[in-house]
Amino acid sequence: MATDREILNGALGALAIGAAGALLCGRTKPTRRKRQPPPRSAMERARREAERPPQAPTVKAARRLNRAAGLIALSTLLDSAVEHYRGSFHNKAMYTPLVVSALTLYVSYHGTGDRRPAVHRFRDFTYLVSAATGFVGTAFHIFNIRKRPGGFSWQNLFYGSPLGAPASIALAGLLGFYSERLRDNELKRSPKVFGLRAGRALAALAGIGMVATSAEAALLHFRGAYHDPFMYAPVVVPPIAAALLGDTALSHPRPPRRLTRWWLRLTALVGFAGAGFHIFGVSRNMGGWRNWRQNVLNGPPIPAPPSFTGLALAGLAALGLLDDHPDS
Amino acid sequence: MFDEALRKPRGKGGRAPDPMRVGGWVPMREYPGDEEVDFAIVGTGAGGGTLACKLAEAGFSVVAFDAGAWWRPLEEFASDETHQGKLYWTDERLCDGANPLKLGANNSGRAIGGSTVHFAMVSLRMRPERLNSRSKLGYGADWPLDWREMWNYYTEVERALAIAGPVNYPWGPPRPRYPYRAHEINAAGLVLARSCEAMGIDWSETPLATVSAPRGRSHPCVYRGFCVTGCSTNAKQSVLITWIPRAVKAGAEIRDLAMVGRIETNAGRATGVHYYREGQWRFQRARNVVVAGYAIETPRLLLNSANAQFPDGLANRSGLVGKYLMAQTNQAAWGVMEDEIRWYKGPPSLAITEHWNYTDTGKDFFGGYAYMSQGPLPQAWASTLSGNRGLWGEALMREMEKYNHQAGLKIVGEVLPQEANRVTLADEKDQYGLPIARVTYSLCDNDQALVKHALDFMSKSLDAIGATDIWTEDDDTCHLAGTARMGDDPTTSVVNADCRSWDIPNLWICDGSVFPTVGAVNPSLTIQAIACRTGDRIKELASQGTL
Repeated sequence: MATDREILNGALGALAIGAAGALLCGRTKPTRRKRQPPPRSAMERARREAERPPQAPTVKAARRLNRAAGLIALSTLLDSAVEHYRGSFHNKAMYTPLVVSALTLYVSYHGTGDRRPAVHRFRDFTYLVSAATGFVGTAFHIFNIRKRPGGFSWQNLFYGSPLGAPASIALAGLLGFYSERLRDNELKRSPKVFGLRAGRALAALAGIGMVATSAEAALLHFRGAYHDPFMYAPVVVPPIAAALLGDTALSHPRPPRRLTRWWLRLTALVGFAGAGFHIFGVSRNMGGWRNWRQNVLNGPPIPAPPSFTGLALAGLAALGLLDDHPDS
Repeated sequence: MFDEALRKPRGKGGRAPDPMRVGGWVPMREYPGDEEVDFAIVGTGAGGGTLACKLAEAGFSVVAFDAGAWWRPLEEFASDETHQGKLYWTDERLCDGANPLKLGANNSGRAIGGSTVHFAMVSLRMRPERLNSRSKLGYGADWPLDWREMWNYYTEVERALAIAGPVNYPWGPPRPRYPYRAHEINAAGLVLARSCEAMGIDWSETPLATVSAPRGRSHPCVYRGFCVTGCSTNAKQSVLITWIPRAVKAGAEIRDLAMVGRIETNAGRATGVHYYREGQWRFQRARNVVVAGYAIETPRLLLNSANAQFPDGLANRSGLVGKYLMAQTNQAAWGVMEDEIRWYKGPPSLAITEHWNYTDTGKDFFGGYAYMSQGPLPQAWASTLSGNRGLWGEALMREMEKYNHQAGLKIVGEVLPQEANRVTLADEKDQYGLPIARVTYSLCDNDQALVKHALDFMSKSLDAIGATDIWTEDDDTCHLAGTARMGDDPTTSVVNADCRSWDIPNLWICDGSVFPTVGAVNPSLTIQAIACRTGDRIKELASQGTL
């Protein structure tokens, strides 16, 4: 019978082979525009801007999604690096999220600068691998929790492998994958993804991601006994944003509420502010920042909260798409 | 530098040490000796420290005395088991009986904050039926307290100490959520968890008085493992860093290195206390005196205060002062695990089962026991192996090599209250010229049967998860209680439910001595709950003019 370590190693291998396949089949290097010298005058800058091909709204939304996915990937990369370093990488599979989120971050960066209305195969595949990694990771984290004494107990949910963490790389992958589908819609009047209205489906996806991420924050802040009132922010603000996005998803043909945009901006702010609070939280551990090598591992995860910002950006991308394509 | 607190009192000159800040001080009110304060409290541990806070916050003038030092844990607690012996009460006492007690580390403290400065932080509620063990379970004595009222006071204490406990506790009536979440269970605790699951009984995270998240200036526990030798990080919510700072803030004066040797009485009422501080005997006048010196020093002080009007000692018309001493049994089963355990990491008792406290069938004895995972530091473990297993020389060295694979389960067992187990005065005198305590102690057949049951069960449960080299430690005791029991009848008890002595209306006793039965869990939470109740009752009596 295979041990969990062997299964994990197998999964890691499969993902590596998949990534290698993508590298071989797809365009291994993102095209790079020839670098031009910086504009000499304002007029030249304006001329160059006018010469750029017009950007389809779907591409604009897709690039915004690349940015959102990239931010979530960055959050996951840093968070899993810290947490898995803390776990001494005792299982080689623990390197997987680092590799995958780094790749996702890279292709997201690439996508953000890519104005072409076409699917990029390597980018697309990487996003798919990213989503798959998230789902496989969640499955293994569930497996790890179940085998501890007490099974699905609060103790194991608090201190076992975190259930919600791999889901964030899945979210980055899904948003990125969605962005590639959006790029497919260039000429259509009302863009659709998987037969659904693209703008509203994206609003729903961002909302679901927000609820899941908020649930993770709720669990971990419950572990911290909400000892600081600001710990309620990520369990109050994002679910309201999710509800507003849900309202947007179901409101066809009515345009989104103005409040939704502002609330998403607030959610984005909460994500960044959360990192700040976590920096402060590290200082509240024994030795504070003087003992950073221990307390960064031990204290609240500094890179985790910006994933809310990433999701809020995805929600704003949905609203942007709806501005350009009210019927989407 | 580490012993400075033992040489010179710190609570004087209008200021008190702030244990939460390196070199910090806070202002403290001071009372002259000839001013009659509302309350003079002898002892600043779980009973006295808590009550000092409650009374000061209720607006009474309070002076509390402790023979021990006012430590600054952040600066003066060494990672050294021997050095930290400075926290224990190790003055001479005579111990006899069939099972003479070993007094010191495991059962007494000498510091501002009392034994809570070095307790294992285990904070459990007593099983409600144990408060009525005579009428409901057929042994011991009934307490004059209603468990539902105690349940509320337990809640108050749990909040005051921000107890980190499980979300759902498997035993007893429902309780409010613990203020902080339980700590991560270490490998030693997981051994208990797996062994309980193998035996088909419930287990739980242990509710502990050490924070699992920041609280004020307390950092979350860093799992340093030196809990029972003094927490140097202030994660432990001892009386020293919880009730005492609150008491000082509310206007109480705390006098460290102040040994109370005698309570003065006049016309049937207490008038104040004689205490030794800075090389001389001094006197503090008081309208009320509270004795909170725990189960040996409390009866010793009452007996040492005998005078013409009370020739057998204060509050002793019933003849029960010093009697019904109880020391919970503390036997263990130990074994070696194949995996590394490293039990020194974290608080020693992170997992617990109260199964045999709440289950009344399948037993051939009265009472119950809880047992917990263990984590003795190397020196304590070496002393267990040499003292209780008889290993020495190379055999001891070989056994110590297994230290990182060792696991164990240890009980807190109830013993029956026996009149013959008692504290009396010896002829010998201590450094203050006061007669020392003679402690006479024997286990009865029921106590022995409980221990046997526990050792059998724990050995089987270790065996069930593949532990090897299993052996039992058959002779150890821990928490004390009794010697000034509370009750409803002046002929069979020393104090009433309010901890007020039957004989001297302005003399109170507020510590573990008042327990009529000792119960099957660690007593610190119950002592603090009783102190909270006593504080509220005194406030109520004062408002009624019946103090």
